[in-house]
Amino acid sequence: MSDAVLSARGMRKSYLSGDRRIEVLQGVDLEVRAGESISIRGESGSGKSTLLNLLSGLDAPDAGTLQWAGGPARVELRAEFLGMVFQSFYLIPEIDARANVLMAARMRGRPGPAERARAADLLDRVGLAARARHLPAQLSGGERQRVAVARALMNFPKLILADEPTGNLDEHTGDAVIELLLALARETRTALVLVTHNPAHAKKTDRQMLLHDGVLR
Amino acid sequence: MPWYLYLALKQLFPTGRVFPFFTFMSGLGVAVGVALLVVTTSIMGGFGHGIRGMIVDTQGEIQVVSPTLIDHPIALVERLEQVPGIAGATPFARGVVMLQYHNKPDFPEIQGVDLARVGKVIPFERYLVAGSLDDLDDDSILVSAQLARGMGMQLGSEVEIYSPLMLEKMKQDEILLPRGVRIAGIFEIGHQHLDRRMIIAPLRLMQELYGLGPTVHGISVRLKPGVDEFVLARQLNETLPAGLQALTWFESAADFQSVIRFEKYMVFFLLAFIVVVAALSIMSSLLISVVRKTREIGLLGALGGKPRQVAACFCAQGFFLGVTGTAAGLLLAWLVISFRNDIVRVLARFTVGEDVFQQFYGFVNLPSHTTGSDLATIIVGAIVASTLAGLLPAWRAAQLKPVEALRSE
Ligand SMILES: Nc1ncnc2c1ncn2[C@@H]1O[C@H](COP(=O)(O)OP(=O)(O)OP(=O)(O)O)[C@@H](O)[C@H]1O
Ligand SMILES: [Mg+2]
Repeated sequence: MSDAVLSARGMRKSYLSGDRRIEVLQGVDLEVRAGESISIRGESGSGKSTLLNLLSGLDAPDAGTLQWAGGPARVELRAEFLGMVFQSFYLIPEIDARANVLMAARMRGRPGPAERARAADLLDRVGLAARARHLPAQLSGGERQRVAVARALMNFPKLILADEPTGNLDEHTGDAVIELLLALARETRTALVLVTHNPAHAKKTDRQMLLHDGVLR
Repeated sequence: MPWYLYLALKQLFPTGRVFPFFTFMSGLGVAVGVALLVVTTSIMGGFGHGIRGMIVDTQGEIQVVSPTLIDHPIALVERLEQVPGIAGATPFARGVVMLQYHNKPDFPEIQGVDLARVGKVIPFERYLVAGSLDDLDDDSILVSAQLARGMGMQLGSEVEIYSPLMLEKMKQDEILLPRGVRIAGIFEIGHQHLDRRMIIAPLRLMQELYGLGPTVHGISVRLKPGVDEFVLARQLNETLPAGLQALTWFESAADFQSVIRFEKYMVFFLLAFIVVVAALSIMSSLLISVVRKTREIGLLGALGGKPRQVAACFCAQGFFLGVTGTAAGLLLAWLVISFRNDIVRVLARFTVGEDVFQQFYGFVNLPSHTTGSDLATIIVGAIVASTLAGLLPAWRAAQLKPVEALRSE
């Protein structure tokens, strides 16, 4: 199992809603191998976002173990281990596209020429070389999500977690973003966990899974 | 630059924005507060400093006085001139007389000065607007400009002086005739108070008018540049014979000085509230910004930002606003102080008229004296207040959990 980039065992999470406890995740097991792409589908409210938050270490599980690249998941490792893409793009509005991509590197230390070159290169790869100096407000939804994809790839992560990245995009734009995400992941041998409602997008991944009744199948 | 400082600067000065409105408005409060504080303390400091200049120029930094009369003034002068730090000393006698010219009386203060020595202590030539010190002999006097104007006296006018000694003599059934003197010069010191009614007479004439014989009222002392008058006065008081006391210019006008100082502190205290209000407005705009940026703060957490770095980002914004606001305020203050006389003149012209203004307030030229310590207090105070204002928003931002922040829609 040396090539598992992520390994989750018996992940449980429940929320208190009023005086009722909702068991959202009831023992999820997931193993992601290097470079593989996995899609997770499930009804709204089934706990997909909750699961991704546990996998990314942003939230703590009630029970279960999480390993990143064969070792225990530690918050300090997240920035270099993980890239994240969200339904809402969460770009920083005050800085341009290139600076947003570079932000991922900046948070790990002062970006040098190598990082700047990579940011420019990634923007080129997502087809936004000409838009590098545009502010997020000057970009379309699809373009913003492509900036977010480039940002997720900035630190050479081993794994990208994408939570409904096409949820705010029209069908055509969404298809293009998914194609791009999958292509880049494959090309850079980055593993991808893609949460989606769209069966067509799910089909394009190596493995399709379903979250239902708190377990992943 | 750490990412949180970079982001703090970018949030204040976004890429491509020529005029960051939010930053401008938040900084403006600080700028106005700082400018007002600097301008008012400088001008009040100017009045205080002007008073010092006036007193020191007309009586030296220190006066050695006695509750009785000083019998051997020249011996004391020579002894004082031996003291290291003292540049010169000169005896004086002072009082009030009645001056009469063409049947018109006035009651000026009179100061008798030793013509041979006074030049070492008091730069009279500087204040003379007519006549010459060389023409001053035992039968002549100098008068202040306003006194001369008020009584219609000119250079060379013959006037009569009535002294209190005449009343003393009258009690003993003796008659002393008024002393006729000539106006040998007219001076203008530039301070309402001193220019109104003032006579400078040779010491011998004053001694004669007051029946002092060879005695005087005190010795004016001029110090060498850079000597601290307060230290030297203390030193003199330890060594002078009993009955003699060294007073600094400050003690000669202690009431006046303490009033000015009190007013300065009051104004400082009141105007400081502008800075406090400016800091509060920084706090509220940063709090709004934290709420508005909740999801981005969540994202920073997701990208690996630590809560205390997120806090530093907002605290730094308070600090930067304080620094830019203070810098702008200092610039504004410098402009206002540089053009203060033009501003006053324009204000006077549009309100009461320049002449009335000058008559009523006694000035059209505002003094200004900025001290380093006042400036330092204002700068440090404004920046510290702005930085503190960033603390509460910073704490709020650090409290946000990335998961919850990202969920908030
Ligand atoms: N912080 C919370 N407090 C209480 N309940 C929560 C919290 N977070 C999630 N839940 C509940 O957990 C369940 C799963 O939520 P989650 O957001 O993971 O669903 P999802 O599968 O991502 O749905 P969607 O497809 O609509 O995004 C929901 O019923 C939700 O109400
Ligand atoms: Mg979800």
